[in-house]
Amino acid sequence: MDFSSNIATQLNAGAILPEGIVVVTILLVLICDLIVGKSSARWLPYVAIAGLLASVAALWLKWDATESLAFLQGFNGDDLSIAFRGIVALSATVTILMSVRYVEQSGTSLAEFIAILLAATLGGMFLSGANDLVMIFVALETLSISSYLLTGYTKRDPRSNEAALKYLLIGAASSAIFLYGVSLLYGLSGGQTNLDAIATALANGDGGESLGLAIALVFAIAGISFKISAVPFHQWTPDVYEGSPTPVVAFLSVGSKAAGFALAIRLLVTAFGAVSEEWHFIFTALAILSMILGNVVALAQTSMKRMLAYSSIGQAGFVMIGFIAGTDAGYSSMIFYLLIYLFMNLGAFTCVILFSLQTGTDQISDYSGLYQKDPLLTLALSICLLSLGGIPPFAGFFGKIYLFWSGWQAGLYGLVLLGLVTSVVSIYYYIRVVKMMVVKEPQEMSETVENYPEVRWSLPGMRPLQVGIVVSLVATTLAGILSNPLFTFANNSVINSPVLQSAKLTQPIAKAGISETSDRPIVQ
Amino acid sequence: MQLQLEYFLLLAAALFCIGIYGLITSRNAVRVLMSIELLLNAVNLNLMGFSNFLDPDTIRGQVFTVFVITVAAAEAAVGLAIILAIYRNRETIDMEQFNLLKW
Amino acid sequence: MLSVLLLVPIIGAAIVAFLPMGESKRLRQFTAIIATLVFAWIVYLLTQFDLSNSGFQFSEYLSWVQPIGLSYSLGVDGLSMPLLALNGLLTWIAIYSSRGDIERPRLYYSLILLVNAGVSGALMAQNLLLFVIFYELELIPFYLLIGIWGGKKRGYAATKFLLYTAVSGLLVLAAFLGLAFLSATPNFDYNSITTEGLGLTTQLVLLTLLLVGFGIKIPLVPLHTWMPDAYVESSPSTAILLGGVLAKLGTYGLVRFGLQLFPETWSLVAPGLAAIGTVSVVYGAMAAIAQKDIKRMVAYSSIGHMGYILVAAAAGTELSVLGAVAQMVSHGLILALLFYLVGIVEQKAGTRELDVLNGLMNPIRGLPLTSALLIMAGMGSAGIPGLVGFAAEFIVFQGSFTTFPIPVLVCIIASGLTAVYFVILLNRTCFGKLDNETAYYPKVLLTERIPAFVLTVTILFLGLQPNWMIRWIKPYTTSVAVNPTGLQIAQVETQK
Repeated sequence: MDFSSNIATQLNAGAILPEGIVVVTILLVLICDLIVGKSSARWLPYVAIAGLLASVAALWLKWDATESLAFLQGFNGDDLSIAFRGIVALSATVTILMSVRYVEQSGTSLAEFIAILLAATLGGMFLSGANDLVMIFVALETLSISSYLLTGYTKRDPRSNEAALKYLLIGAASSAIFLYGVSLLYGLSGGQTNLDAIATALANGDGGESLGLAIALVFAIAGISFKISAVPFHQWTPDVYEGSPTPVVAFLSVGSKAAGFALAIRLLVTAFGAVSEEWHFIFTALAILSMILGNVVALAQTSMKRMLAYSSIGQAGFVMIGFIAGTDAGYSSMIFYLLIYLFMNLGAFTCVILFSLQTGTDQISDYSGLYQKDPLLTLALSICLLSLGGIPPFAGFFGKIYLFWSGWQAGLYGLVLLGLVTSVVSIYYYIRVVKMMVVKEPQEMSETVENYPEVRWSLPGMRPLQVGIVVSLVATTLAGILSNPLFTFANNSVINSPVLQSAKLTQPIAKAGISETSDRPIVQ
Repeated sequence: MQLQLEYFLLLAAALFCIGIYGLITSRNAVRVLMSIELLLNAVNLNLMGFSNFLDPDTIRGQVFTVFVITVAAAEAAVGLAIILAIYRNRETIDMEQFNLLKW
Repeated sequence: MLSVLLLVPIIGAAIVAFLPMGESKRLRQFTAIIATLVFAWIVYLLTQFDLSNSGFQFSEYLSWVQPIGLSYSLGVDGLSMPLLALNGLLTWIAIYSSRGDIERPRLYYSLILLVNAGVSGALMAQNLLLFVIFYELELIPFYLLIGIWGGKKRGYAATKFLLYTAVSGLLVLAAFLGLAFLSATPNFDYNSITTEGLGLTTQLVLLTLLLVGFGIKIPLVPLHTWMPDAYVESSPSTAILLGGVLAKLGTYGLVRFGLQLFPETWSLVAPGLAAIGTVSVVYGAMAAIAQKDIKRMVAYSSIGHMGYILVAAAAGTELSVLGAVAQMVSHGLILALLFYLVGIVEQKAGTRELDVLNGLMNPIRGLPLTSALLIMAGMGSAGIPGLVGFAAEFIVFQGSFTTFPIPVLVCIIASGLTAVYFVILLNRTCFGKLDNETAYYPKVLLTERIPAFVLTVTILFLGLQPNWMIRWIKPYTTSVAVNPTGLQIAQVETQK
């Protein structure tokens, strides 16, 4: 009796209730599909969405839980993880909304698609809270393998196949490299797999192993950078984004990336606290390269999906500013930006899906004159893109300001200025699409738009798409103006997470400016 | 004579380098997949070595290895499935031929 | 009180954009009513304005996004109040002068209302970030206004405008970030921010960022290349808003954030600014003389007139700041009238070429009234006594002379050049013999004349009674001047 209750408190299985709900949803989707057959495709997506929303609600209930560590400290359900798990689950919800019609039109089974997507979500959610090397690895691979499957989901399309193969080979190689770094970390810490224990062991160990630690760090960062597609580990991104089914791209660009950032925060801040100067330096380089290359190469793209791929590389560069800042404000600005990025980027992808469903193309030049035919789509896509470009009063502006503000507070003047400059560049290529749609005269309309069929929302699967567009449109427009609750949420999730708070006190911080400013209250 | 930990690590590092070499030079997709398996096995050797020498009581490294083997199997299965799908469509598994998407 | 100036146009824009309102003309009527309401409210505020108070009035404060120090705080003083009135009036003119059969009217009118709200917001913002939001808010509406309803090269002009203005916003934002964080109080509240305690180099860097940022918007000479294209390619009503209202945000920002926040450093950079201003004046006049296109000529004349404002602001004496604000208003009115009349000429005569146009004064076949008003506007722009341009320029020159005698002398000479190109313009277009081929221009309708009459009467009235403009500015200038007597800079120079 005593033993079992002891085990029960150590397991603290309640902490993974949200993930449990997702698991149940996966099983439900699979079993219903098996029993009912094809006709279940009408309501299965809503089951999945209900499951995901229930999971988000469960996350909400876990907010500020007194005991956050679970499974013998293998999983940390603190507020930071809740924020990231929420982002992953929400992005999966919106992805399902936009995928119903798309998958149906591609002639593949919807239920399996949803099940795999949910599995990827599960991996992402576990990754956001993983506190143990084994846990991190298993969660990472759950997310990755499901993503490979999703990428190649339209298996009769050679482009999708090719994207899946490239993604798989590069992804598997990078996770093997990541794993090699992790195995070194395990050895250097004297046989610990728990992140906190590793940090303590490394802090107590002598400095003779610093070369090994540096190698482990470089390998681990290579794996993480692959997930967040930071330059120079980004080569897969444009190809995979162009080839794979668009809803999958939407999920990869938001959910998978958010999970990658959660991993970065947890692994680097906790386990690699001893070499924080080094990884700050590496990430500064990654951020600079991502912002420059992502935004500049996006200028030259002719395909909408490739353009969004490069833009997402650039956006990841902006988010890294908050990470490098390493202050409370920095981390919470990351969460805040990812939350906003979720809506604006998924909104843009939903619009791209609707357009390609209507016309079968995603070339930017084919969008010209769309204003005449489909004002709602034009409005939604324009606002999402302008928000991505950081034009006020849309949400993206506030997100960027917060990132830059926190970066500036931490003394990262160069990075912030570079961010400002590259965001001007990004305005240029976002506005190019808006110009195509809005500014072109009726006689300059592209052939595709000439033959643009009227949108029939009553078709099966179109209603969720419409809901997706409207929700992300409203969120993108209003989340900036009414952003106070979101700010509070992001701030609290950082302040209430003991991991970041304790890390800040112990680790020697790279720049002298940071240590002064981080203790200063943000709210005046 | 007892084997030193360094030998295991060196062997693992050598295996890892061979894996990376194969990854870069192979044109056949299946061979690339095999190279990735080499990388993972290098990791396994590392983990086992560390586990035996540094952590003989809790043997976390050995547990980790079991997980790695399982996941590697899943990864290989998915990889082969994708290669099969691409072979049906394109009748080739030569990496150089996969150029529908520009790199 | 002040939120009305934001809410009414924004709600109006939403109604215009989303509710079915029928045909283009009804939309224009509705939009004009909104603009009239806004303007009436501004007039009401003018009557309520406390002339003895030099600080901000009608202040509103709402905490908005605390973590980044953004608050919704509005307020007006003697600097922003006249510009607000100018904005209200010119928006009304722009709406009224739009063509009745314009394409995509819903987008057009809602954009104009948004522009109005954005400019008002920027003029009233008491929080640096709030200012940036409104400042950047102008970007997309103007881009679309130029890009959709512009002339032949509108795509090029719009993109150029977008890039320059985006860079301008970026520099201003960078300067504000630096200012807010480096000064003792890391937030963006205008009233609590000071540059005291900042090192000289830091101040100079921040001030330079601000000067270049606002300099693009004004535009000052090395940064002006977007401007002739944008002005010329946009439709007359867009050009009125662009030149009359948007450019004022640049000079407003210069005085509000440059002069007022950096009082110590300002006197250091002032000689350079005066030099740039003088160069702008001379360059604008010279370039205008060389033009063959009357709209382009007006556009270049605008560069020159904005140069006076810079010289006056640089001098920073009580009288010169007064002159700067007065010149902003006067330039806005005169430029709007010029653009409006040039638009009419282009519409009726079908060309803007100086070589083709002539004899518009012809009482029967030409455009007699339009040309008469054009002469009037040209006189106003050249600074003929009795019109508002003279009053403003006179104050500018008198206020700045003690500080910068040589630049002011050059400016006075250059204002003579203004007369030269307006004489060229008027001589070629209005006088001479009307060709028989191009005879019988369409008549200018009474409704088309109304905006011109309104502007002309305002110009004339404020020229004869400049006190009506100056009384609102006066209390502000006493509080702001960095060198009340104009001696300080002279001292600095002699010390060197």
